[in-house]
Amino acid sequence: MDYALQQLLNALAFGAEYSLVALGLAVVFSIMGLVNFAHGEIIGVSAYSVFLAAALGLTSPIVAVLLAIAAAALAAIAFERVAFRPVRYAPTTTGLLTAFGVSIVVQNLFMLLISPKPQSVSILNGLNQMWFFGPFAVSSLQVMELIVSGLTILALVLFLNRSTLGLAIRAASRDFATVRLMGIRANRVIATAFAVSGALAGIAAVFIMARRGSVSPDLGFSLVLKAFVACVIGGFGSLPGAAVGGMLLGFIEVGLLVVLPQEYGGFKDALTYVIIVALLVYRPEGLLGQRVELGDKEI
Amino acid sequence: MARTEVARSEMSQAIENTAPVAATRPGGALARSLIGGLVTSLPVLVVGLLILNFAPTYHTFLALGAFVNLIVVVGLQVFMGNSNIANLGHSAFVGLGAYGVAILSTPLAMKKLSIPNAPFGFATLELDPVSSALLALLAVGILALISGKVISRLSGVAATIVSLALLIIVHSVFLNWTDLFKGNQAFFGIPKVVGLPWMMVMSVVVIVLARLFKDSRWGMQLRASAQSPQAAAALGIDARRLRLMSWVLSALICGLAGVLYAYFAGTISPKLFYFQMIFMTLAMLILGGMATVTGAVTGVIVLSVGLEFIRSIESGVTIAGIQLPQLLGLSGVALGVVIVLCMAFRPSGISGRYELDELLSRFFRHAK
Amino acid sequence: MLKVENLGVRYGAVAAVRDLSLSVGQGELVALLGPNGAGKSSTINALTGLVAPSAGRIVLDGQDISRVRTEDRIRAGLTSTPEGRRIFANLTVGENLRLGAATRRDPKGVRQDMERFLALFPVLSERYAQAAGTLSGGEQQMLAIARSLMSRPKLLLLDEPSLGLAPKIVVRIFDFIGQLKAEGLTLLVVEQNARQALRFADRVYVMSSGVLRFDGPPSGLADEHGLLNLYIGG
Repeated sequence: MDYALQQLLNALAFGAEYSLVALGLAVVFSIMGLVNFAHGEIIGVSAYSVFLAAALGLTSPIVAVLLAIAAAALAAIAFERVAFRPVRYAPTTTGLLTAFGVSIVVQNLFMLLISPKPQSVSILNGLNQMWFFGPFAVSSLQVMELIVSGLTILALVLFLNRSTLGLAIRAASRDFATVRLMGIRANRVIATAFAVSGALAGIAAVFIMARRGSVSPDLGFSLVLKAFVACVIGGFGSLPGAAVGGMLLGFIEVGLLVVLPQEYGGFKDALTYVIIVALLVYRPEGLLGQRVELGDKEI
Repeated sequence: MARTEVARSEMSQAIENTAPVAATRPGGALARSLIGGLVTSLPVLVVGLLILNFAPTYHTFLALGAFVNLIVVVGLQVFMGNSNIANLGHSAFVGLGAYGVAILSTPLAMKKLSIPNAPFGFATLELDPVSSALLALLAVGILALISGKVISRLSGVAATIVSLALLIIVHSVFLNWTDLFKGNQAFFGIPKVVGLPWMMVMSVVVIVLARLFKDSRWGMQLRASAQSPQAAAALGIDARRLRLMSWVLSALICGLAGVLYAYFAGTISPKLFYFQMIFMTLAMLILGGMATVTGAVTGVIVLSVGLEFIRSIESGVTIAGIQLPQLLGLSGVALGVVIVLCMAFRPSGISGRYELDELLSRFFRHAK
Repeated sequence: MLKVENLGVRYGAVAAVRDLSLSVGQGELVALLGPNGAGKSSTINALTGLVAPSAGRIVLDGQDISRVRTEDRIRAGLTSTPEGRRIFANLTVGENLRLGAATRRDPKGVRQDMERFLALFPVLSERYAQAAGTLSGGEQQMLAIARSLMSRPKLLLLDEPSLGLAPKIVVRIFDFIGQLKAEGLTLLVVEQNARQALRFADRVYVMSSGVLRFDGPPSGLADEHGLLNLYIGG
């Protein structure tokens, strides 16, 4: 029973983290069709900012958390200004390759300017403790991941449904030209979407640092690959799809860890991807995606 | 009815856009693209011959690596250039080709050291290099067919993500199936049977093949359907089948690159066939221009030279008496910057829409 | 209020609009008529800035806005209800109206306007919290016009408000357009349906193949021999 609960919590915590990152990807993709491979490097910038601040004498974990989120949001906005704006109206493949390029540049800059080796960051270690509820021992980090992710998603939903800019983001996901006809500035809508996407990545960065206690140049890369996969199973560009896809991915991974014998543990990632690709054979448009007929999307 | 009419005109426009010169004289088309392919491979031959005759051993080794990249990039072009879908998983096929021949052709004495517990009797099997290569390519073909079935059904973005998933799956199998692939460690003792001449021959063959595919009815239809999917569908073009076809051909060419790599280097390891290779070959194709085979060739030549220069700085050089520190990551930054700048300022790459022979014939026509 | 001088719009080698000049005075309702493919929508898109003109000037209230961004043209008081309505189908009726008022900073006035349109179109009020995509074509057109009016424009461009709607509904839409004119709004209405467009028009322009063919009062259009039939087909 204890074991089952523990695994359930594991799955939920992993799933929550994937959902956060996948949502960040989906927000940007839904309005500008950009497959943002550099999302992982937004997480990276966030983590290295905390690392540098700690090296310069920052000790407050709360400030570190705020810094992580702010740095990620700013990095996202900066990436858009510098790299993605020139290809804003280009075909999807062009944007995708640009983002891939940005990802390579930033990862290698971390290597070049800081170090190719992982660097220790202990400022957020306090988040990762064992909490005891009667007979149960649970990781505080996992509980927090679950709660914070839930609250973040709630805040995102409120933002998208209540604020004018949030409405504009939802509207822009279908018809950007008409949003501009409302007098809403395209640059502001896009910058907001990137900031939101970055903030979500920043929250994920906090959890990653608290768990690993270190930062490395490829910190966000593999996580973002998984988040992409979550987006694809959920239905690319669908926000609920991204959240559901992330959770499902968490459950598949933990399920495999439980089922696989120890010596085959290394095949977890491979099998996860195999399962997902198999899912796509039956639902190419993803779980919550709509089967988009060619030409449906208005320009 | 009206829709078909529109489709037809859009389609012919698409074909005009994609195939500026070919398709005008159906009879001479085959010969034309054959000659075109040979013209495109001329610079490769020249570079190869120069190195063969004049370069020191170290540069020959570098050149062999560059030729492998060339074959990979040409393979990548066959899928990406024609279907206009980004493929980020092609080095899985390079790896499979390389590991395929490693497992089949490595001498038994070596295998006792490296993979004594290989399943399916591979530990006691030693084939000649040619049969090994053919069987390895067969394995690549089967994997390509299975993955291609999935990928050709998906929309562009999802297809790209699945190509990445394929890369991760294959890489993870190399790493974890230690009995067969030797895991993280280097797989050594593969017979070194390929030198520069063979590499050159294969490069030419692959360039011509890619060109023949591009100019074939299938290649043309695939490019047309990438430009205007509805129009192509209205004309009864089965884009899925064509995508699958180009995917498999692309994979086989990449697999061949892997086979050749294993046969000249003698030693391979999984990390060779992972993201590093994807980054590099992708940057080469984008810089050269992915719409044409000429672009693939151009990109490889330019970036191979450029990267070698950067690597020499990276390892810490002395400029004007000042010793620079090691700059690890510099070549990565350069690759990324090349991709980003190309996409922003010249998405069609250096060579643009035209093949080398097409450019030459245009040039001479204008000169007259 | 609006002056267009020698406007040209090109798509690559194709000239969609050539040397077009027109003007719309304060409080006028001007109709721009022409058959399919005449360049009417290209003209509208050039006026809103969604396509860049290849030649000519667009002057709004004495200011050259030819190089001003779409968003800023809307903020300057020029609003358009695009062809095909283009309501935000995934947003509710209320959210559509709110986005229409996105540029305004007077919440009280916005609320008043909202109430006014909801009273005017009871069906929008009934469906206030429903996805706008569930509305019928006519209702969507009402919503699209109301959404444009939420920004309190000085000049409203209406691109083919009758497109794809049943004749009875078209009459109602144009009744409403006439009412807007009576309230003092300046309008430029682009239409294929000449009969409806001419009901309230002060002046008419007719274009075909990207070129202006007629310019004058609606009565003049009837006088010109066969012009209506020639360019508009009824």
